[in-house]
Amino acid sequence: MPRRVVDRLVLPLAGSLTTYLVLVGGGIVYATVGNSASDGLVTQMLINAVVVLGMQIYIGNTGVLSFGHIGFGAIAGYAFAIFAISPERKAEQIPDAPFGLAAVDLTPFQSSMVAGLIAVVVAFVIGLGLARSGARSGAVAATVITLALLFVVHEVARNWIDLTRGGKTGLSFSPLGGVTLQGRGWIYLALFLALLSARLFKETSIGRLAQAAREDDLAARSMGIHPALQQMVALLLSVFVVSIGATLRVFELGSINPRLFFFKYTLLTLTMLIVGGRNSVTGCLVGVVIITTGSELTRYLAGPSVDLPFLNWLLRSGLTDVFLGASMLGFMIFRPDGVLGDWEPDHWMARRSVGKFTDQPLEHSPVGGLRPEGLLRATGVVVDFGGFRALNGVDLTASSNEVVGLIGPNGAGKTTLLNTITSLVTPSSGSIHLDENSLDGLPSHLVARAGVVRTFQNLRLFPALSVQENIEVARLAAAGRVVGCSQPDVEFVIRASGLSELRHRRAGELDYGNARRLELARAAAAAPRFLLLDEPTSGMGDLESEQMIHRIRDIAGLVQAGVVVVDHDLNFITGICDRVYVLDQGKVIAEGTPDEVSQNPVVQAAYLGGPIDSST
Amino acid sequence: MTELLQQLVDGFGRGGIYALIALGIAVIFGVMHLVNFAHGELITVSAYAAYGLFVAGLDWWIIAPAIVLVAGLTSVAIEFVAFRWVRGAPDFTMLMTSFGVHFLVQAAFVMYVSANFRQFPRPGWIFQTWKLGGISLEVFDLLVILLTLLTLGITYWVLQRTMFGMSLRAAAEDFDAARLMGIRSDRIIRGAFALSGLLAGVAAVFWLMRSGQAGPTAGLSPMLKGVLAALIGGLGSLTGAVMGGVILGLAEVLLISRLPESLVGLTDGIVFLLIALLFVFRPQGLVTVRRAERV
Amino acid sequence: MLEVESLTTRYGAIAAIREVGLTVRAGEVVCLIGPNGAGKTTLLATVAGLLKASSGKISLDDDDITDWAPDRILRSGLALVPEHRRIFADLTVNENLLVGGVTRTGTRRVELRNQVVDLFPALSSKLQTSAGYLSGGEAQQLAIGRAMMAEPQLLLLDEPTLGLSPKLADVVFDLIGTLRSAGLTLLVVEQSAQRILEVADRGYVLRSGEVVASGLAPDLLARQDLFETYLGRNVDST
Repeated sequence: MPRRVVDRLVLPLAGSLTTYLVLVGGGIVYATVGNSASDGLVTQMLINAVVVLGMQIYIGNTGVLSFGHIGFGAIAGYAFAIFAISPERKAEQIPDAPFGLAAVDLTPFQSSMVAGLIAVVVAFVIGLGLARSGARSGAVAATVITLALLFVVHEVARNWIDLTRGGKTGLSFSPLGGVTLQGRGWIYLALFLALLSARLFKETSIGRLAQAAREDDLAARSMGIHPALQQMVALLLSVFVVSIGATLRVFELGSINPRLFFFKYTLLTLTMLIVGGRNSVTGCLVGVVIITTGSELTRYLAGPSVDLPFLNWLLRSGLTDVFLGASMLGFMIFRPDGVLGDWEPDHWMARRSVGKFTDQPLEHSPVGGLRPEGLLRATGVVVDFGGFRALNGVDLTASSNEVVGLIGPNGAGKTTLLNTITSLVTPSSGSIHLDENSLDGLPSHLVARAGVVRTFQNLRLFPALSVQENIEVARLAAAGRVVGCSQPDVEFVIRASGLSELRHRRAGELDYGNARRLELARAAAAAPRFLLLDEPTSGMGDLESEQMIHRIRDIAGLVQAGVVVVDHDLNFITGICDRVYVLDQGKVIAEGTPDEVSQNPVVQAAYLGGPIDSST
Repeated sequence: MTELLQQLVDGFGRGGIYALIALGIAVIFGVMHLVNFAHGELITVSAYAAYGLFVAGLDWWIIAPAIVLVAGLTSVAIEFVAFRWVRGAPDFTMLMTSFGVHFLVQAAFVMYVSANFRQFPRPGWIFQTWKLGGISLEVFDLLVILLTLLTLGITYWVLQRTMFGMSLRAAAEDFDAARLMGIRSDRIIRGAFALSGLLAGVAAVFWLMRSGQAGPTAGLSPMLKGVLAALIGGLGSLTGAVMGGVILGLAEVLLISRLPESLVGLTDGIVFLLIALLFVFRPQGLVTVRRAERV
Repeated sequence: MLEVESLTTRYGAIAAIREVGLTVRAGEVVCLIGPNGAGKTTLLATVAGLLKASSGKISLDDDDITDWAPDRILRSGLALVPEHRRIFADLTVNENLLVGGVTRTGTRRVELRNQVVDLFPALSSKLQTSAGYLSGGEAQQLAIGRAMMAEPQLLLLDEPTLGLSPKLADVVFDLIGTLRSAGLTLLVVEQSAQRILEVADRGYVLRSGEVVASGLAPDLLARQDLFETYLGRNVDST
């Protein structure tokens, strides 16, 4: 079986199934052993697990802190109740329901599907808004927008009396209220599907690209990833799963009112999500179990059956909410990534299996096709930062079959030039062309898609993704846009950069040399026309720099990309470059072969200050 | 015309309170890059303090300054217990921490007092109106506007003229450079929280005089308004925060007076909707502070 | 006065400086030269307390200041003028200076401010201007003046001529002379090796995070091979 299928499908399935069996099995055992209350507890826990899994799909993969998911749950919950409550009951409760809803009579299953779809439609609109606001990990605007949704839904539910019967009574299924969901079959099924969706979504290319943007938005954009599409898909799937959970919750309770899906439930589910580890599907289930257990324990301790006079100040009603708040706060302070971080059981299996697959020699040639020569041109680039002119009319030309070096003293504007080419900095004047196409004004992800991919001086990997995933992400981001040759195989890139043994390591765990290798490999996997490298040897010793020369040449040759490299180490620049530009004070002061440049007195003066008298 | 003038006074009165809260949020954001969703808890704590002092038989003249003090101390205490530990943490962690504080304080009040709101008498004069030509203006609104201007004036003086204010502004601009000047990070952050708490305290006095009740969620609405105002103002900017507060106050009053009767219950919802739309189209707020990211 | 012993500073996995040793004696001007990325700025930032040392020891006079906070180090008489100057652009020139004197008492602060303005006449007409509007040379004078407000005995300058035109760089080198005659001890990181060695007493050459040479300034100036190392060419091959 191909390794990729094993890594991305078989092992995650096996892992999820194990988790599922443990969770459901544990629940059944507890419900059987315990009393009737424990039965209800298990039911609620499993329903909460569905909701939390749904939230994990969005919050976990995108890193956007959403307070709106319970708002979506409220929409679905009400929609479900309005569709599923029998017309006779509706005649009593909401006789004036608009759109003829009072007469609608659907089965619970149909109702929950329709409810889910309605929530998804709303989510689509919200998702467009989030995309417009530039949602990314930790973005405040996105949090405020979702918080606004939670409030707006709550207000509407309280005030649209004709439809929702208002805030005080709410809607109920039977005159007596109480449990309407007979048995837990549907919950088992929903939980199973939710778990599979969440776990497999993490492995899909969409999920992977969303995670890359979560890990490092800037690096992701520089690879050509614009995460709006991925975030939208994550949001829709996530909202659908949350909606199903919400309908189960309503059905199980037999009634709904605005308070059911508001701040308190948001607190409960968010705490569950972050305590276990929001980036891990298994983790969020662990969080559900921990918080459910903890809540029950505190409820018991605060209840009448425990009487410890000296602890009376603590063991009183309300302790459960204090426990939730304290858990949220405590985990953020002491363990912000939760119990499991982003660990999944199949990671463990995958790491163990590394030795078992023997690396087959690759038969086919790694990259087919001959690319036409390309030309990257910067003309008259001027960049101002406030009153400071960082670049003052720089011209640079690089062809796709050469390695061009960019050197100059600190503050000369080398990195600024790379930033301008990749559109992280907007020039005051001047223009950038790739072949005949202007790159001016394109956002950085489109510059990357046009074929200009860069690395960063201070290493911007996707730390929580594995080595292999980092490379896959780059390949995915460029898929379908590579002209003139086939994209290099992920497997090939991993082996060519000597990272085969480390493929399942998280990028954040790599030592410096390997991290640099990975960054280069990742850039190459996108098969760019031009590779811009910002100080690829900073922090390296002489020997490592020497090796880097070969590695860059090999990998650029492999994908037939031109290279523009900024470095301070003249040894390295002389070793690797065909042509060198020297920048000083925002201007090109010399250009030529490495030898010409290093003999140039103007260059020596710029580097050393004042002309060197050869007699000394 | 007279109606509009009354609405403007009303709007500035409301907006002044929001501006004080927003300014506090902006001050903290400046030194710590934290959007403090727990800022409303200062008002919650103040509300219970006011209730307690009333039960003890004190008058508003004593309660008002006491509330300001309590809010300032609470703010410093929250920093000491929670935010000190997440300095420099990722945005997600800091956001979540502030929500954690918010939920925890709320839960503690439910546990130790009650989930129900406690009423206390509002000062009698707040409903008095003042006739000026054909217009009747609420004395309270005028007082709020006056005292808000005074508070903002004092704050401005503190920020511009005192060593503490200069250090705070320096730290907000470049924290490391400020440390190189000998400014102690602990002190300056604590000072920012104290200032922010005192401002919230002044806002709390006005807010509570009007609402006359204490409850675990008393701070939620003012906190949201403050955060929104600070965001409208562009977060980094102190002037922007004050402007954001005034804009939000005016928008609310003008909106309420123009909504049909049946939708008045939805005012907050509609305000949130408008704000959400604002952030969709201007995620950086109305006043944009440009800061280059180093790469 | 300043004694750095086998100091290592890491950024995550990167050791930006490794086992660096360095001494500055009272009254000296010592310079630190070397190519970009050699770790000069890291060294200064570690000494001033902005970065945490992974291992090694830093002593100032008789105190072990290795793990001290920047403000405590400053109070002991060591000030750093950071790379890129980092003046507070939103504050006025006057406010920048006063903030620089935050560790001094009120009256002393005003006295010092007046002294600094006397030393840098360019600033006197711009006291109420926002520092963001200063030219590069004025900004550098302000940065140094701001550090002087703390009355340091040892001043660390990180690339004081960065981004300045050659003419303004001359002003800065003159200034170094002035500071020295005012009794200050200086440790200067500078790109223009030749020029700073002409002013300094002693120098250290850093490359790839390690000290590769040190000695009296005239001796270093005379060593052509060092300049070639500095430019990156291999010493052995020449």
